[in-house]
Amino acid sequence: MFTGLLFLAVIIGSIVFHIWTPWWWTDIASNWSAMDDTIILSFWIGGGVFILVCLFMVYCIFRYQYKEGRRSEYKPEDKKLEKGLTWLTTIGVVALLAPGLVVWNNYIRVPDNAIQVEVMAWQWGWKYRLPGQDGKLGASNNRIISDDNPYGLNIDDPNGKDDVFVESNELHLLKDRPVKILLRSIDVLHNFYVPQFRSKMDAVPGTITYYWFEPNKNGEYEVLCAEYCGVAHYAMRGKVVVEDEESYNKWLLEQETFSSFTAKNRNNKLNKKKFVKINNLSSNKNSILKEQDVR
Amino acid sequence: MSDLNLDKLPGGFKGMSEDIGSDQTTFKGVNWGKAMMWIFLLSDTFVFSCFLVAYMKVRASVVEPWPYPSEVFALEMMGVPVPLLLIAIMTFVLITSSGTMALAVKYGYEKNRKMCGWFVLLTAIGGLTFVGMQAFEWSKLIFHDGVRPWANPFGAEQFGAFFFMITGFHGTHVSIGVIFLFIFARKVFRGDFDTGRRGYFTTMKSDYVAIEILGLYWHFVDLVWVFIFAFFYLW
Amino acid sequence: MSDELNINKKRKNQIKTKSSAASGRGETDIDYVRPAELPEQDLYHGHSFITKWIFCQDAKVIGVQYTLTAVFTGVVGLILSWMMRMQLGFPDLFPFLTAETYYQMVTMHGMIMVVYLLTALFLGGFGNYLIPLMVGARDMVFPYVNMISFWMFFVAVVVLMASFFVPGGPTGSGWTLYPPQAILEGTPGSGYGILLMLISLSLFVIGFTMGGLNYVITILQARTRGMSLMRMPLTIWGIFTATVLALLAFPALLVSSIMMTLDKVLETSFFMPTIIKAGEALSYDGGSPILFQHLFWFFGHPEVYIVALPAFGIVSDLISVHSRKNIFGYRMMVWAIVGIGALSFFVWAHHMYVSGMSPWFGFFFATTTLIIAVPTALKVYNWILTLWRGNIRINTVMLFCLGFIVTFVNGGITGIFLGNVAVDVPLSDTYFVIAHFHMVMGIAPLMVIFGAIYHWFPLVTGRLMDEKLGKWHFWVTFLGAYSIYFPMHYLGFIGVPRRYFEMYDSPYMTSAVGMNEFISVAAFIVGAAQFIFFYNLVKSLRLGKPAGKNPWKANSLEWLTPDVPPTHGNWGEKLPVVHRWAYDYGVPGAKEDYIPQTTAPSEVKDAEVEKT
Repeated sequence: MFTGLLFLAVIIGSIVFHIWTPWWWTDIASNWSAMDDTIILSFWIGGGVFILVCLFMVYCIFRYQYKEGRRSEYKPEDKKLEKGLTWLTTIGVVALLAPGLVVWNNYIRVPDNAIQVEVMAWQWGWKYRLPGQDGKLGASNNRIISDDNPYGLNIDDPNGKDDVFVESNELHLLKDRPVKILLRSIDVLHNFYVPQFRSKMDAVPGTITYYWFEPNKNGEYEVLCAEYCGVAHYAMRGKVVVEDEESYNKWLLEQETFSSFTAKNRNNKLNKKKFVKINNLSSNKNSILKEQDVR
Repeated sequence: MSDLNLDKLPGGFKGMSEDIGSDQTTFKGVNWGKAMMWIFLLSDTFVFSCFLVAYMKVRASVVEPWPYPSEVFALEMMGVPVPLLLIAIMTFVLITSSGTMALAVKYGYEKNRKMCGWFVLLTAIGGLTFVGMQAFEWSKLIFHDGVRPWANPFGAEQFGAFFFMITGFHGTHVSIGVIFLFIFARKVFRGDFDTGRRGYFTTMKSDYVAIEILGLYWHFVDLVWVFIFAFFYLW
Repeated sequence: MSDELNINKKRKNQIKTKSSAASGRGETDIDYVRPAELPEQDLYHGHSFITKWIFCQDAKVIGVQYTLTAVFTGVVGLILSWMMRMQLGFPDLFPFLTAETYYQMVTMHGMIMVVYLLTALFLGGFGNYLIPLMVGARDMVFPYVNMISFWMFFVAVVVLMASFFVPGGPTGSGWTLYPPQAILEGTPGSGYGILLMLISLSLFVIGFTMGGLNYVITILQARTRGMSLMRMPLTIWGIFTATVLALLAFPALLVSSIMMTLDKVLETSFFMPTIIKAGEALSYDGGSPILFQHLFWFFGHPEVYIVALPAFGIVSDLISVHSRKNIFGYRMMVWAIVGIGALSFFVWAHHMYVSGMSPWFGFFFATTTLIIAVPTALKVYNWILTLWRGNIRINTVMLFCLGFIVTFVNGGITGIFLGNVAVDVPLSDTYFVIAHFHMVMGIAPLMVIFGAIYHWFPLVTGRLMDEKLGKWHFWVTFLGAYSIYFPMHYLGFIGVPRRYFEMYDSPYMTSAVGMNEFISVAAFIVGAAQFIFFYNLVKSLRLGKPAGKNPWKANSLEWLTPDVPPTHGNWGEKLPVVHRWAYDYGVPGAKEDYIPQTTAPSEVKDAEVEKT
């Protein structure tokens, strides 16, 4: 009796918690509402199964508790029932899988009008590179990264000349314009993740990975690293600002291009800062403190 | 005691399903140790498969040029580089040792102590020759050509890494096999398998089936070598 | 003799004689079981304390040794989890909890719990103890190799624990040990720590292979007369399939360990691409970090089922015994175990949807992953259908089984979220994942382990465990663990990423603070509750009620040994002869509500048995 009631309480408690939970996802700020929908669908089907199975279990606890002298039913197999349950489960699984695959298909096909943005991850921070006027990113190689060439761009590639360098952890994006995020890493695995955009992908050193989304709400969002990357993983934050064209262009103008960077660099060669110094720019204040604690 | 008559077991698919459906043993008349060796070899197959798949993946994806095997593994004979000469001899020796092993097993079952012992010993010597030649090849690559696990003068550094790792792992298998072959040769000559003398560590009775089990291992090591040969030297 | 092997004919004969038995004819043939195929097993009987209790070749003693060692590492893992929860719930309370130690604890907790506790306990512990007893063998087929297997495991544990004391401490690379970070500075313990971890894992694999070969061959080749595969208890099916999985999956772990060791020691570049550290390129070049992930998860996913399948099997038996009812759909249960085992080799990349592998893999692996949900769901249905119309004893064992069903169904369903590729994108690498796998392969198998210990303790020691303490232990553990992991899913929805030393400053994460405190407190309580269990163990060992023979009125062979607890050789003079499956409970017409496997049909003539 007591047992059954407690199990019942667990089930009801789970449902109540789900309905009244103050912890729920952040307001979506990208086009991936379909992902939220698939989660909701999974909740209905999966949650339904969970509740049914557990309620049936509780019913059995109440109804068939041990009585001296009673015999349980002897029925090793019930082909019909087993077959029915198999089909029912298969249908449920297909109903979950099919929408998931459709959404995934959209996720891996980048629309043609997407702006390319290179996200470059390092221990522990972010920086970015945007294609210039030509809309194309220049070829790059981690091997040739140096102080003069912080993104390891191929100097002979004309596409790279007008590439815009954003050597800070803050990236601005245009509202309602799809973005193709190209991920690079110079050291270990990282993952560029903005919870509000729902999407994420690992940055893998040695290759370039991608994903896309379309930000559709102005605002500032925090970037989190979602793949463990060493001791300051938790402090590897960045910032994405989604804004309208006007302010976006203004921000863009303030950034340096590869050619202007090289020119400036040549002048400043004497009091050049080491590449590592840039580290401090992109970690936020708290994380710098924390990192120092750690050391 | 067993009153199982193996000759009269039903064959084919029907026989197999009946064996599986029966009690006591699934593989009728198969010695425990032999069954265990088979399963172990299956597991070991996965080890080598993982190595080779990793090798193929990396070789397919590295940007640096992969060394040309018939040049790297060439041996100079009277001033003329002969590609794959040493490897051909090594492979021949190892395959031959598989043959002598098979003969040892045959004589083992005939309880022909002398012949069995000699063939086990011959197999061990074949294996030892193989390991010796491999050591020669390694030292040539290391000291003469300057190949290292972390770098080599021919291009992709993974070449040396995979070569030393996989042939080394295989060579370890051969060496372990050789050690056991020598031990077993001694046991055969001493007559352990005829008298059923108990093992020093295991306290279990010796039986000629042990020769067959060791043979299984030895053939497996040879078979793996064929794959390594194909993937490293012919690709 | 060939017709003696003709099982089908035999079956027909039996059915014929059964009908004629009712009319009093053909009684001579009804109990027929094929004669023994194998000679008596040659066993080494220990004479001294050392050969009897330390370097012992008796599978039962080895099983207990495995269990104790595994439980010891489990306690270490538990303490580590306490410290982690301390940091997450109440940051900055302890100055010694730095990010470095935190990540080291995360890593060691994960590895210990998955490999050194669960795998070792289910296969090494329960496998060793139960396989020979349940299939009616005198011991494992190679007791000597079996002994070495335990000592290898022991050395692996020693090496693992040694990493706590080396300069730099244990590795802090996460239990997945992803390169490049695992062996680079910037990750704690990237010197000796990671090396010891890799060595320990390799030793574990070697040791386990020795044991695993024994389990498989004992089950395949050393069953007693009458024990066909389809009469084996599901426990054995679960352990058997899991062992086969382990023998085929651990090679990938061994290979990746060897390769990573070489990357670390010799600076080869298997997994290491060009890496720029502090503006300088390291000597690595051209390796593939994703290759490691493939190798690791080719081991890692079957590993999940290596833990889950024995749990499935054991819980089936416990539910059946304690609800006094045959397991529902035995054959389907067997095929589900085998099918899940086979499928588990084709789903590994569902851990890697956002790893940057070719996105086209997503379709394939999502499909295979969701296919696995079907046999798994069927097993759940069969468990609850076994309860249905049963006669359920609500004792500690049954409570743990019920707790298993709730947590397993919960965790299984969140698994469908994560296996479904597009749903996984927002949820991967968040607390949702943590909640999911703790529910499904942390709490659920632990429920089974506890249930199994309460169930088989009387067999091992001859004494019953204390029911009252057991119930307290269950309710605190179950309710506590559920309230740790159920709400944790919702942290994942917010987007809280896993492996964060501190959550602090994100605006939407501040709402998680209260939750984290609650979870931590619950974790402390659940952890403390385990000491009720240890107390119960120790107390019952000396003062428990004597259990006598077969206290649960179970059918399977392990309860039918001449001595309780069973002695070396298990069966005394004669091996048992099996006449039926292990689930003849509540057979109409039989005098008792259970018919042990050794009961010959002629002894229970009136029983209307459907399946033999």
